[in-house]
Amino acid sequence: MLIRETRTDANATLFLEGRFDFNSHRDFRGAYDNLLNDPGARTIEINFNRVDYLDSSALGMLLLLREKAEASGKSVTLSGLQGTVKQVLEIANFQRLFTIK
Amino acid sequence: MGKPLKILVVDDTPSNAKQLEVVARKLGHETIFAEDGLVAIERYQSEHPDLIFMDIMMPRMDGINAVEHIRALPAEKWVPIIFFSALESVQDIIQGLEKGGDDYLTKPANLALVRAKINGYARVLEMQDAVRQQTIELLDWRNEAEEQARLGYHVINRLADADGLKDPLLQWFNIAATTFSGDLMCATRGPDGVLYLMLADAAGHGLAAALSALPLTQVFYGMVVKGFPLTSIAQELNRKLKAIMPADRFVAAILAAVDIDHHTLEIWNGGLPDALFVDAEGAIQKRWCSKHPPLGVLPPGMFSALTETYHFHQAGELVVYSDGLVEIDTGHGNRLDMAMLEAVLRQTPRGRSLEGVRDHVDAYLRGQPGHDDISFAVVAVPLEERKSLPVATRQSVQQGPVSEWRLELAWSAQELREIDIVPAVLGLTNQIRALKAHQGVLFLVLSELFNNALDHGLLGLDSSKKDTEGGFESYLAQRAERLANLKHGQIDIILHLHMEDEIAVLDITLADSGQGFDFNRYLADIGAPENVDKGQYHGRGIALVRQLSMDVAYSGAGNRVWARYKL
Repeated sequence: MLIRETRTDANATLFLEGRFDFNSHRDFRGAYDNLLNDPGARTIEINFNRVDYLDSSALGMLLLLREKAEASGKSVTLSGLQGTVKQVLEIANFQRLFTIK
Repeated sequence: MGKPLKILVVDDTPSNAKQLEVVARKLGHETIFAEDGLVAIERYQSEHPDLIFMDIMMPRMDGINAVEHIRALPAEKWVPIIFFSALESVQDIIQGLEKGGDDYLTKPANLALVRAKINGYARVLEMQDAVRQQTIELLDWRNEAEEQARLGYHVINRLADADGLKDPLLQWFNIAATTFSGDLMCATRGPDGVLYLMLADAAGHGLAAALSALPLTQVFYGMVVKGFPLTSIAQELNRKLKAIMPADRFVAAILAAVDIDHHTLEIWNGGLPDALFVDAEGAIQKRWCSKHPPLGVLPPGMFSALTETYHFHQAGELVVYSDGLVEIDTGHGNRLDMAMLEAVLRQTPRGRSLEGVRDHVDAYLRGQPGHDDISFAVVAVPLEERKSLPVATRQSVQQGPVSEWRLELAWSAQELREIDIVPAVLGLTNQIRALKAHQGVLFLVLSELFNNALDHGLLGLDSSKKDTEGGFESYLAQRAERLANLKHGQIDIILHLHMEDEIAVLDITLADSGQGFDFNRYLADIGAPENVDKGQYHGRGIALVRQLSMDVAYSGAGNRVWARYKL
């Protein structure tokens, strides 16, 4: 999975691309750890527009990010949901845990 | 520099050997000697040198022969051999390298070159040592991992295995993606004969996933046997997982209660694909989609144990499966999806669903494991005429006298809203040895009497509504709403175990603070056995209690009932 980061003021967006599964653990964590340590980043947006597959390990990573972000007073938003990715997140009822854009 | 090397110098000319020794010693290495090929082989085996300098022309056995022999011996590590010979024997050197030598130096020795070679090989040997060390560690680690996996496999299989999984109504299969399945199937009957089923799919796969699902088994089986309702079981499963698992570990699950006797299917679905009720023609009569996040995600205060109950009017099958089933990817963009699965169910006659789906899955997998664990379960749901009653005539099982025991409990509105009263009382009766063998019957009797007291006495619900179309679901909704808003009211439960005419009996008395009812008409009208068999959903309860107990009597305004049960 490829991860690209953009910043506009206090909002940081991670654009994910490819398969988001258990192999993405290190890359994804590395990408958000920087943002968690950055006091300037108030909201973290995860964009799924170019993600074509999402497994349960990926859901776990999102939950872990959510917990850590809450601890450092930041919010997590999910955006660009489509196709099977949208379906997987809906079955897990993640719309009740995250803000969806 | 690294650790000192042991260098074997093979040469029949002592002055040549001496020259190498001086250089080696200055660099901090140890030297040993051999004066011909035969001695070299012996010393190689007894002294385990790290590096060898080998002359070619020697008596008894030459260097090339010696190298060939040495290389033929079993070796744990690579020992570099450097031929040390006059330049005119270049043909010999080539032959020596082909037989297993690694390098050469020409005589007369250039001492700077000898030093450089020794240093070079010392570095290579150091790297070899490091790699060897890592290989050994990796091997140890793998052996330990295999041993742990073996134990884990044993324990997990033991804990996950249960007689309930052999229930005649249930058929299921599981295909694990690795040695361990993160999918877990649990099934058992409650004390009232209701079949409880849990399909749990832990995040990820392998041992970590299997480990996350494991705590659920004990909670599930423990609570079902004690007669807890599905909602309480869901609540406790979530609480337990949330308490012991890290944030990224959760378990998607379907919990189901299949009540053949009352014609109901109750389901909680958190994070799994739709559970389906399929009728005899293959049409999907009811779909339970995921209404909740998986177990272990939400803290207890935010968790919803809300279930959905369906009242079936025809025979069929309840189908549940994990998402691994509809994610099988053949790698050619060919996926078995939900629509195809439902098509398979439509085309397969009931009773053959499992084989039908299994054949389809096998055709997709073609002997390969899926990339996720795959589970599928089907519960046959027969439409049975209301059985006359589970226990028609009963032999007394109690041998000899019992010691007297009396328990009196008063439950007010708050407890009635928050506690599962019947399992709580059964938890107490289960401690009494004489009552232990009667838990199933006690659960039925207490449940019926208690539900009457609560539903009709305190909540003022009308059972006859259950018989109308859609009435059952609205009855349940109304019950949940009124119970949540219950502010006043009390139910007393009095249990008295004693001897009566040399027979051990348990007197069960329930009193509620409601308005009561015209029990004389009720008993004559609805409780008559000929009415029980008509398929009515109300009025059965008290007839059942009558059949299980010796005697039932109402008193007061009809808000006090007494039942005598012969042990």
